[in-house]
Amino acid sequence: MSGGASLGAGAEPARPASHRKSASILSRIAARKEIGVLLALIVMCAFLALATDNFLTTLNLLNVGRQISLLGIMAVGMTFVLISGEIDLSVGSTYALSGLGTGMLIVMGWGLLPALAAGLASGAAIGLVNGVLSTYGRLPSLIATLGMLSIVRGAALLMTDGQPVTVNERNGALPDVLERFEFMGQGYLFDVIPMQLVFFALVALVGWIVLAGTGFGFRAFAVGGSAKAARVSGINAEGVKIWAFVIMGTLAAFAGILSLAFLPSGQAGRTGMGLELDVIAAVVVGGASLSGGVGTILGTVLGVLIIGVLRNGLVLLGVSPFTQEVMIGLVIIIAVAIDKWSTRNRAG
Amino acid sequence: MPSPLLEMRNVTKRFPGVVAMDDVSIDFRSGEVHAVIGENGAGKSTMMNIVAGSLQPNEGMIRVDGSETAFPTPLASQAAGIRVVFQELSLCWNLSIGENVMLPALARRAPLLPMASRRAGHAAKPVLDRLGLSSMDPETPVERLTVAQQQLVEIARAISQNARVLVLDEPNSALSPAESARLFDVVRELRAEGVCIIYVSHHLDEVLELADRISVMRDGRLVTTFDKTEETTTADLVTHMVGREMETSDQYALREMADHAGETVLSVSGLCVPGELEDAHLEVATGEIVGIAGLPDSGTAVLADAIFGTVQRRGEVSMNGIRLAPGRPAHSIAAGMAYIPADRRGAGALLSMSVAENTVASALGRFLRRGFLRRRPIRDTSEEYVAKLDAKVASLGQTIATLSGGNQQKIILARGLVTGPKLLILHEPTRGIDVGAKAEIYAILKSLAEDGMAILMISSEMPELILHTGRVVVLAEGQVSGQLTGADITEEAIMSLATVSHRRAA
Repeated sequence: MSGGASLGAGAEPARPASHRKSASILSRIAARKEIGVLLALIVMCAFLALATDNFLTTLNLLNVGRQISLLGIMAVGMTFVLISGEIDLSVGSTYALSGLGTGMLIVMGWGLLPALAAGLASGAAIGLVNGVLSTYGRLPSLIATLGMLSIVRGAALLMTDGQPVTVNERNGALPDVLERFEFMGQGYLFDVIPMQLVFFALVALVGWIVLAGTGFGFRAFAVGGSAKAARVSGINAEGVKIWAFVIMGTLAAFAGILSLAFLPSGQAGRTGMGLELDVIAAVVVGGASLSGGVGTILGTVLGVLIIGVLRNGLVLLGVSPFTQEVMIGLVIIIAVAIDKWSTRNRAG
Repeated sequence: MPSPLLEMRNVTKRFPGVVAMDDVSIDFRSGEVHAVIGENGAGKSTMMNIVAGSLQPNEGMIRVDGSETAFPTPLASQAAGIRVVFQELSLCWNLSIGENVMLPALARRAPLLPMASRRAGHAAKPVLDRLGLSSMDPETPVERLTVAQQQLVEIARAISQNARVLVLDEPNSALSPAESARLFDVVRELRAEGVCIIYVSHHLDEVLELADRISVMRDGRLVTTFDKTEETTTADLVTHMVGREMETSDQYALREMADHAGETVLSVSGLCVPGELEDAHLEVATGEIVGIAGLPDSGTAVLADAIFGTVQRRGEVSMNGIRLAPGRPAHSIAAGMAYIPADRRGAGALLSMSVAENTVASALGRFLRRGFLRRRPIRDTSEEYVAKLDAKVASLGQTIATLSGGNQQKIILARGLVTGPKLLILHEPTRGIDVGAKAEIYAILKSLAEDGMAILMISSEMPELILHTGRVVVLAEGQVSGQLTGADITEEAIMSLATVSHRRAA
């Protein structure tokens, strides 16, 4: 009857060390929180396969995979932040600053690895600031990262003087550096799988292992579920949260770098605007809770897929871009509503 | 005989997988104090939620003044003159005492009509006086009050509305003896005015003091309802509640334990927490159970957090001679402390996590190999402690939130024991836990002490301190006012030390 009672037993299946002796495999699958999202995804795909000629083609599916990759990489980071009980609104700005910054370094003639390292480090540093402000600084992360959203966006504008950043040989990039940089964003593994999708798969795999199988993942769940009880258990709640923000910042930077490698041009006034809301929406559709302690990487990947397939499907169906926005908003609300209602029913 | 004020006929309430109320018929009469007792999970709170209109029965009916009715919403129940004060407080933290008391009246006013805080305070004054809160300024925001005072404000709100039926669910779990006595007087006055008071409590001595009739619930059924007489004893009540006789004889054995105490494990000196504790001194040795007693504002509330290091403190806290820095719970655990906080759901259990995860959370380092969780040892350890403490869980993967209070407490205890502590600090270890589980927890503590564990138990329950500790240290006004051992530990002796005033003496 109290607030905590809404956490039904079925809500934590993907946790380490959870096991049910008596449950059959089928009921174990049915109890997984991700099952609803997965069903929704299957229904959507089946509908699109029947309603359009080109949805179920290798080319289109790989295309969807590439389109969702950058969103997906950031969503993995956001899963850690939400599970630890915080939120990060600054990721769209970090995406712009770190991506464009890396591009500028390459244009200045830097090697690929130093430029990448600097770009990722800038994202990690922004995450560190977010983390420290939200823990030791005692600011709600909603406010701290809202401020950082603006500060980092402003820094990107100052850094680029508002001018577009275009990574090409004419602007000064070394040819071999440029070639490898463009491969990251535009290349294909085995000539079929987009490199962006490969990076997303790697990030999701590592994220899944870290969250479900390591002490850090355990502590993130503990801190997000109940910070007080985690402290009493001897867990350094501040440290866990700061690390979650650093992971988020680094992944936002990585996605920003890949975006510039794909496009090869970007502008601080436009790149990644409003992206933070897409990222949070995908993670929440995937079942993570904004109040912390609940979420899985599998759910997040499914949430990202739903958003990606929906956008692709609406384009294939010839739905106008304006209507697309309305549809995506509806899906976010419906997905989370179904999740909340089913959780409440489970708790009885 | 007139028809009862409120009655339930053959009420059944099912939840998925459990029958919370099974064919219960009960009546509540005007002008009586009717106590409802039973272990946790016996169905008391389900019954109160049905009375309050928050839950709907699956079968059966409710009658008020002999005519059939239903409470589809809490408002319907309130319209019938029923007021329920739940154990969990429902005050508006940002509003004043007066506004909280007058909230039901304020809620009926037109939305834009202004209502001055002062006028609300004025209107609330008589009922506050009645509860002995006359010294409080009604314009004080309730968030500045102690838990005990907040509880009284909650009760004041209920009785301010001329209730016909007043349900009090564990009304005095945070109250001092003086505040409780005042509350009991008010209950008796209300009874004389013809109000029916339904009194839900784990405190059997209070039930005997106050009740006219007593109903006992067990496993969702009403076991019996009987008139209290001079002959009724707490042992009778316990027998009805658990359905078996309780062992009480060997509980006294602990009194001898003070003599067996070994070397000092915990030593606390000059402990200060601004506004709560000033210069407290304390030692606990191997193999002894030391109780801490004191009135609600005596500093007992923060003592455990101050020693463990979860609140800022000054002064010295040492484990086996090694001084501990404050604000570092992980260091305290490494030095051999295990802490079971009073707020089980808020600060004790990792509510969203499983039984297995809760068991190992404090000793996580031992269950990692290069940062990765070692599932097999986690499961084995959890299984071992669940068996050792006889916790009733459906599976190790079950979330701790779904366990009963007593089983949650056992898992939190297990979490402490897994770290291999030398000192166990327990704060209100049995608050809100049923009689059977309480006895099991006392037995666990006793056997731990026999194996050499030093145990510090901070409690506001006198019987717990008297029966289950070997030595009691009493706090008053943030300082130690004295200690009692063995047969000297009596309620009277504790109370006289607890009411010492250092300031007056100085």
